[in-house]
Amino acid sequence: MSVLKIDTTDKHIINLAAIVGGPGSILYKTADLLAYDCDGFTIHKHLPKAVVFPKNTEEVSKLVKYCSDQGLPFLARGAGTGLSGGAIPVNGEVIISMVRMKKLISVDLENRRAVVEPGFVNLKLTNSISDRGYYYAPDPSSQYCCTIGGNVAENAGGAHCLKYGVTTNHILGLEVVLPNGEIIEIGRNGVLDEPGYDLLGILTGSEGTLGIVTKITVRLLKNPEGKQTVLAYFDKVEDGSQAVSDIISAGIVPAALEMMDKTAIEAVEAAAFPVGHPMDIEAVLLIEVDGIAAGIEEQINQILAVCKKSNVREVRAAMDEAERGRWWANRKTGFGAMGAISPDYLVQDGVIPRSKLPEVLKKIAQISEESGLRIANIFHAGDGNLHPLVLFDARKPGEIEKALEAGSLCLKACADVGGTITGEHGVGIEKREEMRFVFKDVEILAQTNIREVFNPNNLLNAGKLFPTPGRCVEIKKEINAK
Amino acid sequence: MSVKESHLNEETPCTSSLGNYLWRDPPQEYKWADCVHCGMCLESCPTYEQTGEEQHSPRGRVYLIKAVAEGKLSVDEDFANPVFSCLDCRACTTACPVDIDVGGLIEEARGQIRQAVPLNGWKGVVNKLFLHGVFPHHNRLRSLGGLLRFYQRSGLQKAVRKTKLINIMPQHLVELESIMPEVKGAVRKTLIKAKGETKQEVALLTGCVMDVFFSDINQSTINVLTRNGNDVSIPSNQTCCGALHVHAGDREMGRKLAKQNIEAFEKADKVIVNAAGCGCMMKEYTELFRDEPEWKKRAEEFEKKVVDISKYLHDTGYEKPKAAIPTRITYHDACHLAHGQGVRQEPRDILLDIPGVEMVHMPNADRCCGSAGIYNITNPEMADAVLKSKMENVPEDVEMISMGNPGCMMQMALGVQKYGRSQKIVHTVQLLDWAYQKEEGDDYHVRLKD
Repeated sequence: MSVLKIDTTDKHIINLAAIVGGPGSILYKTADLLAYDCDGFTIHKHLPKAVVFPKNTEEVSKLVKYCSDQGLPFLARGAGTGLSGGAIPVNGEVIISMVRMKKLISVDLENRRAVVEPGFVNLKLTNSISDRGYYYAPDPSSQYCCTIGGNVAENAGGAHCLKYGVTTNHILGLEVVLPNGEIIEIGRNGVLDEPGYDLLGILTGSEGTLGIVTKITVRLLKNPEGKQTVLAYFDKVEDGSQAVSDIISAGIVPAALEMMDKTAIEAVEAAAFPVGHPMDIEAVLLIEVDGIAAGIEEQINQILAVCKKSNVREVRAAMDEAERGRWWANRKTGFGAMGAISPDYLVQDGVIPRSKLPEVLKKIAQISEESGLRIANIFHAGDGNLHPLVLFDARKPGEIEKALEAGSLCLKACADVGGTITGEHGVGIEKREEMRFVFKDVEILAQTNIREVFNPNNLLNAGKLFPTPGRCVEIKKEINAK
Repeated sequence: MSVKESHLNEETPCTSSLGNYLWRDPPQEYKWADCVHCGMCLESCPTYEQTGEEQHSPRGRVYLIKAVAEGKLSVDEDFANPVFSCLDCRACTTACPVDIDVGGLIEEARGQIRQAVPLNGWKGVVNKLFLHGVFPHHNRLRSLGGLLRFYQRSGLQKAVRKTKLINIMPQHLVELESIMPEVKGAVRKTLIKAKGETKQEVALLTGCVMDVFFSDINQSTINVLTRNGNDVSIPSNQTCCGALHVHAGDREMGRKLAKQNIEAFEKADKVIVNAAGCGCMMKEYTELFRDEPEWKKRAEEFEKKVVDISKYLHDTGYEKPKAAIPTRITYHDACHLAHGQGVRQEPRDILLDIPGVEMVHMPNADRCCGSAGIYNITNPEMADAVLKSKMENVPEDVEMISMGNPGCMMQMALGVQKYGRSQKIVHTVQLLDWAYQKEEGDDYHVRLKD
């Protein structure tokens, strides 16, 4: 538990503590702050000035106003599971942690919506309503612990976003504290198509640079009547890719269509949730269809036929819910599983047209060979969202730089075939430079102009999302200094 | 093939210091090497759930433990705070994609802290008095038991409560006093023969707390074992398993007790344990002997013999009781049974084999109750917050809560009393024993009132 008195003469700490109601709601000692020097992106680290835990919107507003008036940089953080460094306090920010604002405020099944506080954990929403036949669709792999506030900031995706869309398609309204402390509501009452600019669209995925979300109205979906999952093993990755294309071409819209390559399979099988994938295959596909029960069997048969046409080694449907659960646990813990085969990893998040899959995979294999670093591939193959995982050892001199370069080259390969540099993890600090692969200077300027309107002093989460030449040099320097 | 440097997968000798860990037996690098900071452990952690503070989360703690080894932090009170707020419940290891042994790291880090920052105040007294003065000494524990028995039976307990003398104790101890189980006479025999033909011979750990406060559970364990063809031996030179000491960072005493038990049970083929915390500790004795190869080898052999009573019955088979105990019951997973030993289904199967028992699902059944050894004495506020969450998950309409650990039983009894619930707290093996006895004409209701 936290110490019971403030043990510092720093006036900012004392004042911030007063806003959130005392010493139990602020961290400022080095040992405590160290746990906040990075998020799920561990390559870059910086200590925050303090971490504060507001309980409600008013406290957030007061904290923001104080920071803004005093010229203190600040940012919002959820569970800190982001993979692009969006919550890393690169400027020694005051971290406003949203995790104690974790209430499920209301559920309105009639209108299929719910209102949550930003610290509410993604999976808890589905767990709270599943017995009544509803669920919340966006399902990032970290859904066991990531917060919906963080999902909004990053416009999080997930395995089932192929059919149902990413977070932005499920956000109906937001309460936001602007960087000057003002509180605004957008998308009031969850009514669709409000007149005026699409502010919900701009805020969702803005990576915490425009405001701090304090209340979220989300869309709920009815549980599908039926669901079936198929597992398919391919000797050649090209055959697996072809099967992905053919399934979509056949007019089937799977709820999820996931792929893992040989190195990824090695990791998940060596980790805590193995399912016994053969180690000598090049690709495994996990295909899920859902919807009206009557049509499912036919779709499954079609999928089995397509896979067989693509030289599948083995393909079968899940025997029961337990087996389906095991397959998904194996897939969803895939990133963390890299720990079993490598001390560190860097995950990339490129998007490509599906038809380019074999070509880009070949390119990634080449990058791996040239860099001397292994690259595992886990991806949402159905929507062409690749996650190359560059494996490295941060303790070896020069490996961080090599990994960053390999990751960047993977994104270049995606951009070169008409794709883009992030599908769901966000740009953060990790992919700022790579924004240039997909945007011209004038296009970046148009976006930073929007930021200026909301965040004119750039005190809120500065140095994220867009390339700023001076800053990049600094970061490279810091990495080199490690 | 793993790309990781091979030395990371090996245990390192623990004689040398590591970064700012200056004493023997520091946290081992290979245990944190797999952590990639993904955060999948966060929601599994009761203290993170309560505080939302990442230094009180498994990921945060592992990160800080690593930071000390890297020389970024020193072993001081600020470091001790998150390390000692851990319940050592192991739920994070279950949630972790790569099975990081957070509990092991925490225990090793506590070993370092205890040498760098000596305990003072209330916690120091508790540690010295109980961990050194009482638990390791069977006779003293029994004397204390006798004293408590006298306290309860002589009317002194009533007097103390009535005269408000009790108010000189801290509030959380007053609460504990009020649920203190009635001390019963301990099991004194050293060999109890199987009823009928002997199929196997097993040894029983009677434990320290179990022996004083829950000797009826030891008796039930013996009854169930002998009923199913087991000769039960109770080596008299056995001692406390050392879990409480190792959890508190007193690894020296842990080693001493471990050695005594390894010797005491040398001749046994199976060591049956009915306390999850003890079983888990005894299955991890090897961890204590990294730089004592001889003892390490003996510990490895010993670990293989240790088995929880529910798993032993499940694996070797047991007679299904014929008499019915009509009751609605829910099951609480003791952390050191579910997360520590992977025993989840076996006790549930035993309960389901008793005619008349209706099992009601408890949401988050494998969430810690806050007992955690002596955590509820040393960290009462957090323990109470964790208990409150636990009690909210206990279904309203059940008559009993079954479990397999004495610490949980006391804590849950406290929860029942504190939150105005009515459930009877039972050990899984007790219910099986009562069903057998009812078969023979004994009324279990009498035992329920005990």
